Amino acid sequence: MKRKLFSLIAIVMVAAMVLSACGTPATDTPPVEEGGVDWSTVTPAQNITFWHQHTGEDREAAMEKIVNDFNSTNEYGITLTAEYAGGYGDIYTKMLALLNTPDVPDIVVGYQNQIATYQLADAFFDMNTVINDSVYGMPQADQDDFIDAFFQQDVYPLYDNQRLGLAPNRSMEVMYYNMDWLTELGYDGPPTTPEEFREMTCAASANPFSGAMAEGSMGYQLSIDTSRFASWTYAFGGDIYDGTTNQYTLNSPEAVAAFEFLQDLFADGCARLVSENYGDQSDFGNGTLLFTVGSSSGLPFYTSAVEGGANFEWSVAALPSTGTPKQDVYGASVSIPKSTPERQLAAWIFLKYYTSPEVQKLWAEASGYFPVRKSVADMMGDYMAANPTYKASWDLLEYGWFEPAVPGYDFVRDEIEVVMAAVVDDPTLDVQTEFDTLNEFGNRILAEQLEQLN
Amino acid sequence: MTEATLGVKPPKTGSTLHTLRTKEQITGYLFVLPALIVILVFGLFPIGYSLYMSLFNWRVTKGAYVGGRNYLLIFGTWTNLLITLAGIALIVAAFWIWSNAFSSLSNRKTIAKVVAAAVLIVGGVVFVTGWGYMFESGNQNFLKSLIVTTYYAVGTVPAEVIIGMILAFLLYQDIVGKDIFRMMYFLPYVTPSVTSAVVFQIIFSLRETSIANMVIGWFGISPQRWRFEQRPLLNLLGVDISGFLAGPSLALVSIMLYGIWSFVGYNTVIFLAGLGNIPKETYEAAEIDGATKAQMFRHITMPLLSPTTFYLTLIGFIGTFKAFNHIYVLRTPSAGDSVITSSLLIFDNFYKANQYGVATAQAIVLFVVILGLTLAQNKLMGERVFYG
Repeated sequence: MKRKLFSLIAIVMVAAMVLSACGTPATDTPPVEEGGVDWSTVTPAQNITFWHQHTGEDREAAMEKIVNDFNSTNEYGITLTAEYAGGYGDIYTKMLALLNTPDVPDIVVGYQNQIATYQLADAFFDMNTVINDSVYGMPQADQDDFIDAFFQQDVYPLYDNQRLGLAPNRSMEVMYYNMDWLTELGYDGPPTTPEEFREMTCAASANPFSGAMAEGSMGYQLSIDTSRFASWTYAFGGDIYDGTTNQYTLNSPEAVAAFEFLQDLFADGCARLVSENYGDQSDFGNGTLLFTVGSSSGLPFYTSAVEGGANFEWSVAALPSTGTPKQDVYGASVSIPKSTPERQLAAWIFLKYYTSPEVQKLWAEASGYFPVRKSVADMMGDYMAANPTYKASWDLLEYGWFEPAVPGYDFVRDEIEVVMAAVVDDPTLDVQTEFDTLNEFGNRILAEQLEQLN
Repeated sequence: MTEATLGVKPPKTGSTLHTLRTKEQITGYLFVLPALIVILVFGLFPIGYSLYMSLFNWRVTKGAYVGGRNYLLIFGTWTNLLITLAGIALIVAAFWIWSNAFSSLSNRKTIAKVVAAAVLIVGGVVFVTGWGYMFESGNQNFLKSLIVTTYYAVGTVPAEVIIGMILAFLLYQDIVGKDIFRMMYFLPYVTPSVTSAVVFQIIFSLRETSIANMVIGWFGISPQRWRFEQRPLLNLLGVDISGFLAGPSLALVSIMLYGIWSFVGYNTVIFLAGLGNIPKETYEAAEIDGATKAQMFRHITMPLLSPTTFYLTLIGFIGTFKAFNHIYVLRTPSAGDSVITSSLLIFDNFYKANQYGVATAQAIVLFVVILGLTLAQNKLMGERVFYG
């Protein structure tokens, strides 16, 4: 009997310890209501953290300099600690577990669709409440200096036009091409239409580049990525999302036409899938691949690949299009999770610094990203002159277009990638049928996500 | 620890004995308390909390209580689940009848065998019917992921155990540089799986010049798509079978090869420890009796290693049902759902679709499946283990 009693006492004791340790579930913590804060009465927090995903020697060094300069010059005595918190996906999964808890970082990078997902839990700070503040706000002239499309990208109509982020940099999908090989094939420039693209890719597949450093010859390699899906759909004049109806349009005639075009290229042996991660970059550098499509932020890596490979003349251009080019522009923003007014204010002060012209210039030149302010482009004249491919991609910004910033997009992206791989792998598949099913799936997921707003 | 070492005088009365026992109890609980807390906090509490979450329409925020609805999404209807469970129960009953028939010395042994066979067939039919209904009206993605997981487990664990045992036997002999070999075989196990899986991405890449394609090229086989191929391996070999019997895709086989490569070293080391426990005299006696090396391996080594084999098989199956990292790294969109194991599907549903309630329900079902398989394995294999 006593043995049972002791067992019971032990179990109760342990259970009590466990329950007290666990406390209330994190998601039940009430968020801070910032709407009525008088910022002039708030003292910025002294220690804040910034979770980012930046790696690579140049980017890490630039980030370190930006943070050190901020810490030593800001008049409020704020000390910011920047932490590499993994890739975008890692940060996203970590953040989901921390929403509305005191353990959130003060600043975090995130794509717009990820921020939209976080905000389902009303977990992020609306910067509209501080951006025009007389003491801590951002002067109108500075706001006007942002490239408007970038500036508006972090305003969410889905959430009553709350501003949930600020863009520190952007990049764009561009087509990389080997100019020397094009010349050998008898062309004087990159293709501007899909038909020209077809002609050149097939010619390249049959006629290897004389300066190639490896065996093989291919016109184009498609990397399976939803941003490629968007890019090709945009190139054919379509869109993947209708903002007016809040519905995916993954089965639009333009998307279908684009992938029937690619399906034919694959069937004819003029294009193939990328073999392994960044395999298109190395093949391009070795002179065995004529065209590839990817982010302009990859420019430094392509430069290294070509210089360490076949060392030919190359550049970037808009994707061949059926009308006016329409380029996929993207990039993670920096956002402020809800915490205390003091922490939010300190975070906001850093974001103003991070997006100021001088810092933007430093960051853009070190990272290869585009700056987000018009005045910075003028300051980067020397850099652009020294990096003509950067200038070429910058000049395409006027054709920029964005992917949807809706919750659940990550899940839909995975399915898009499965379907785009299927249709190019199997020329017998009917693209329209596959995309109809895909679109139905996307809108079902979207509806499920938006249900949470009700 | 004895009473003498503790310096405690022998108890003289009943009450002193009780006091001592009480002290022993408290001491015992204090010793197990830290481990118990760790297990409760990091083991049982998450399971309990997952169960709790699975009863709600839980997305990014906690929604309404939905009871068993998230489970119904998996099974379609409770009836489907009951039919499937009835099939499993009949298969278990057939096994019980069969086992009894073998252990019985009565003249009704043959009848018992026939009955067992009949129950097994009926059980199989009932199970397949229930599964079919679930597949029709339940969550096909999750049910398919269970099949993929089963392929993965069946394709890797036996190979890992057999190769591990052979390597251990070879390394146990007096060969030159066996310590270096031991270290080499163990290295894949201690290498971070994400890193080594990235190397396997390159080995099994689409390139015609990839290492895997070069190797099969030596045997006159044309280049394959490996991680990008969702067609079953048997189909590629010219066997025209579809459905479950068609087996795993070539993409999944590529991932299995990684699994085998990675875990064989661990099995080898554990087998080596097991071999060290076999008395040398047993081999000497067998040698005097004229037994060959093969006979000694078959009749001495294998039976005396059976506890180790049992342990590794059990741990192996549990591990494969929970496998995640390397499959996540090696999967490709081209392989579609042919490489999506249950762990991956649950992860995607949780983090990408934000369907926390649905994902945790699936995790609980997977947990029950693993538990059931472990118990079945324990019953089937445990009785055949020879402890000397």
